[in-house]
Amino acid sequence: MSESNKFIFKKYDADASINRRTAIITIAKAGLFSILGARLAYLQIVDKDKYEILSDNNRITHRLLEPQRGIIYDLQGKPLAINRQRYEVVIIREETLDYIKSIENLKNILPDVSIDTEKLYSEIKKTKKFIPIKVLDDLSWDQFSRLNANIHKVDGLYPQIGFKRYYTSGQSHSHIIGYIAPLDKKEKDTNTLSDLSSAKSGKLGIEKAKDVSLRGKLGNKNIEVNANGREIRELDRYESIQGENIQLTIDSDLQDYCYKSLNDQSGCVAVTNIKTGEFYALVSSPSYDPNLFSKSISSEKWNSLTDNIYKPLINKSISSQYPPGSTIKPFVALAALENGVSEKREVYCNGKHEIKDTSLESGIKTFHCWKEEGHGNVNMNEALKVSCDVYFYQVSREIGINKIAEVCKRFGFGQNVFDSFYEEKKGIVPSKNWKLESIGTPWMVGETLSAGIGQGYFLTTSAQLSLALGQLINGGEKIIPTIVMDKNKDFHKNQKISLNPKHLAIIKRGLEDATNTQGGTSFRSRIAGKLKMAGKTGTSQVRVISSQEREEGLKKNNELPWKKRDHGLFIGYGPINNPQYAVSVIIEHGGSGSGAAAPVASKIFKYLFDNNLNLKSKSISNV
Amino acid sequence: MFSQSKTELTLFDKLRSINYFLLFLICTIFFIGTLALYSISNGNFSEWPIKHLQRFILGLIIFFIVALLDLKIIFRFAYLIFIASIIALIILLIVGDEINGAKRWISFAGFSLQPSEFVKYTLILALAKYFHSMEDYHENFISKLIIPSLIVIIPVVFVVIQPDLGTALVIFLGGVSVIWISGLNYKYFISGILGFILSLPILWQYLKEYQKDRVFTFFNPERDPLGNGYHITQSKIALGSGGIFGKGYMEGTQSHLNFLPEMQTDFIFTMFGEEFGFVGSIILILLYMALIGIAIRMALTSKSLFSKFLSLGVCSVFFIYVFVNIGMVTGLLPVVGVPLPFISYGGSSMLAVMFGFGLLTNCYINYNTTLTKGSFI
Repeated sequence: MSESNKFIFKKYDADASINRRTAIITIAKAGLFSILGARLAYLQIVDKDKYEILSDNNRITHRLLEPQRGIIYDLQGKPLAINRQRYEVVIIREETLDYIKSIENLKNILPDVSIDTEKLYSEIKKTKKFIPIKVLDDLSWDQFSRLNANIHKVDGLYPQIGFKRYYTSGQSHSHIIGYIAPLDKKEKDTNTLSDLSSAKSGKLGIEKAKDVSLRGKLGNKNIEVNANGREIRELDRYESIQGENIQLTIDSDLQDYCYKSLNDQSGCVAVTNIKTGEFYALVSSPSYDPNLFSKSISSEKWNSLTDNIYKPLINKSISSQYPPGSTIKPFVALAALENGVSEKREVYCNGKHEIKDTSLESGIKTFHCWKEEGHGNVNMNEALKVSCDVYFYQVSREIGINKIAEVCKRFGFGQNVFDSFYEEKKGIVPSKNWKLESIGTPWMVGETLSAGIGQGYFLTTSAQLSLALGQLINGGEKIIPTIVMDKNKDFHKNQKISLNPKHLAIIKRGLEDATNTQGGTSFRSRIAGKLKMAGKTGTSQVRVISSQEREEGLKKNNELPWKKRDHGLFIGYGPINNPQYAVSVIIEHGGSGSGAAAPVASKIFKYLFDNNLNLKSKSISNV
Repeated sequence: MFSQSKTELTLFDKLRSINYFLLFLICTIFFIGTLALYSISNGNFSEWPIKHLQRFILGLIIFFIVALLDLKIIFRFAYLIFIASIIALIILLIVGDEINGAKRWISFAGFSLQPSEFVKYTLILALAKYFHSMEDYHENFISKLIIPSLIVIIPVVFVVIQPDLGTALVIFLGGVSVIWISGLNYKYFISGILGFILSLPILWQYLKEYQKDRVFTFFNPERDPLGNGYHITQSKIALGSGGIFGKGYMEGTQSHLNFLPEMQTDFIFTMFGEEFGFVGSIILILLYMALIGIAIRMALTSKSLFSKFLSLGVCSVFFIYVFVNIGMVTGLLPVVGVPLPFISYGGSSMLAVMFGFGLLTNCYINYNTTLTKGSFI
């Protein structure tokens, strides 16, 4: 009985204890669940925004889309600079377990390409594991498709398609079009494409001058990536905008023709429409392959270009400055006419002109005519025709340097022809003030004489010469030099350059005689037929001839080293009855204007007369 | 040996006595788990959901078998079952399959089982029988603390050296909860806990490096955001970015873009929380709370001490699973590797949990059965 009581008592006791303890443990469980609830509320309600951002950062990656560069067309709508697809392969280290194996497999798939594995491996090791590294560039389509077919064998390797610039028209256009290359350090801050690893910018020519409009605008896409960074899907996409297409006033065929006419001599040509200011050709020779720069160029190749004495990388038509020599004479003649020198005025040429010079022992400085024995009595027409230096020494001395400078500047000497080429040089038109400011010594009479025949301080460019002649021959119509077509552009500024038509007629006659009458300096280069050209030769010295040298007898140019020979220049216009074109030709160290430059100009005019360019031009919108 | 119950229950009686609301809640939670696994498989039913379903069906069979067994048989073999499971643990240490540096699985006949999952329940069985059978119910330091503690510590040690910290923790806390309910004097209980805490530095030496790392990382997840802290950080990002209503079913970016590791197992709650938000998470937690609440109510109806201890122990083990798992993925607890019952993909835990609820239901059906103090067998 007592035992049973005890049992009942104890059982009751145990139950109560269990219930009490179960209650405690249940409350504890409820409390712990509440903590979980509170924790979730904190994460999912209070801190929601923070984690949403983190989650988006996790999954969304921004990729830039490369814009296509604007296409460059010529006057006839022929594409000169286009974009081709570039096939490349990159590797992302973190997406392969064994990159060496992947590269080895790649070699097996493409046995015909060479990979510098040592360099590549060291680059892979150095680079962060999620950054793509270029393995191969510029694959052929065949190689690219072979790789794509075997892509499962090469973990971590990605074939990509990009753009590369391709220049269709060869060496003749290299200087004017220029080329593009990866951004310089300086550009990284300012170029709008600089975020793009493959960004390039124009380095020379039109590619540089018009870089901003050619380059286009970056697009981008937001993509969702997984934890390995692999693209899962595209969330949104803002297409890149192709750069503006540009049409040049350059006629590709003419450009080619001019380049070939130079026949690998070092020199340059400019062809201008004297009514519109359009430049149909701007040629520099020798040249280089413009597509060299679309791949990285070897230092060997680069050095051979920069060390070349003929300076193939320089656009001589706008960047090389030459003394104009006798090609300045039409402008000096105009200055003389405007300053009271009559066309009938005769000067006797005995081959030299002497002035007092106290700095010399003899007290006399002698200026020679190119013709040692002299021209005898010459008037202005004759002086232009035979290019008599003594005549121009005399009239220059009479009118003074400042009058000459004023006329030359009026027609465009001493100023940039184009506003857009950073590589352009503007030449020098010497004057008293100019000398004081830039050299710091007063002007001397002898320097006026030198300037009167385009020597001394005078410097100009081929483009400048053809523009100046154009604006003179078109009757003083100011034209806007153009190399890039602009449909909205008014070709004429409707600004007249002060020019007396009678004076112009005198000069034109002088130039016509120089080319088309017996004894004229460029008579040998005349064009037979209905359409004729007229022009002025120029031979500019690149060295001072000492009196000793003169006494020993002048050496012929072809006996001198190339660098010491005279430059040969020619400026001309045509057809003479209704002038359309102005052409300037400069042959560096070509010996003489009549021997080297005039024949080239003559060929070019013939070409121009045979192909009326103005009628052929097409707008690229119709191409 | 056994005291006879007043009337023998027929099979039909037993089936009628099953708490079908409990079963309904289990099925509901299981269904949510299948949905979650379907989402993780990116809509591929044959990847994880189908196996999950197969295991659940197998679990239901085990549940019914265990629930419909004679309680007396369970009582009788309680120690033997416990000893068998300990032996399984020992065999495991010798011949078990090593996966990720841990020996947890034992394969036979094409199945891979984790004996440690079952030890959670066999330990409860042993403890229930022990407390039920105690000769003298008076407070006794040795009989009420030392012996039960040994029963708990032995399997815990075997699981820790596998090593499987999470399961060891669940086994340990499950055992402690039964000792607590047994009515152990507070003073003993607290001194026992203190003793355990003091012995932690010794236990610490037996932990593998990666386990130590996990504990360190828990206290400072930013210590190594791409290494051990990665799980916790990404899990918090997933849950947090889910917001109140979630990103939508199958729209979870963190989980579908593989930012979440092991999401089909231990981190499945994270994915659920990302896709269904705070509202979904709370509903799931409430479902678990309801399940545990009902289970506790069922446990308290039993008349025998064995049944009570057993049922309450099952409730505690289940609670510990849920709490440790959610606490872990929300960054409240270290990442120790505890699955979320009925939802996480994993066969052993599914079968073990169903085994546990089978025991609970058996006790509930036989609430009126009285048991004598048992001998060893």
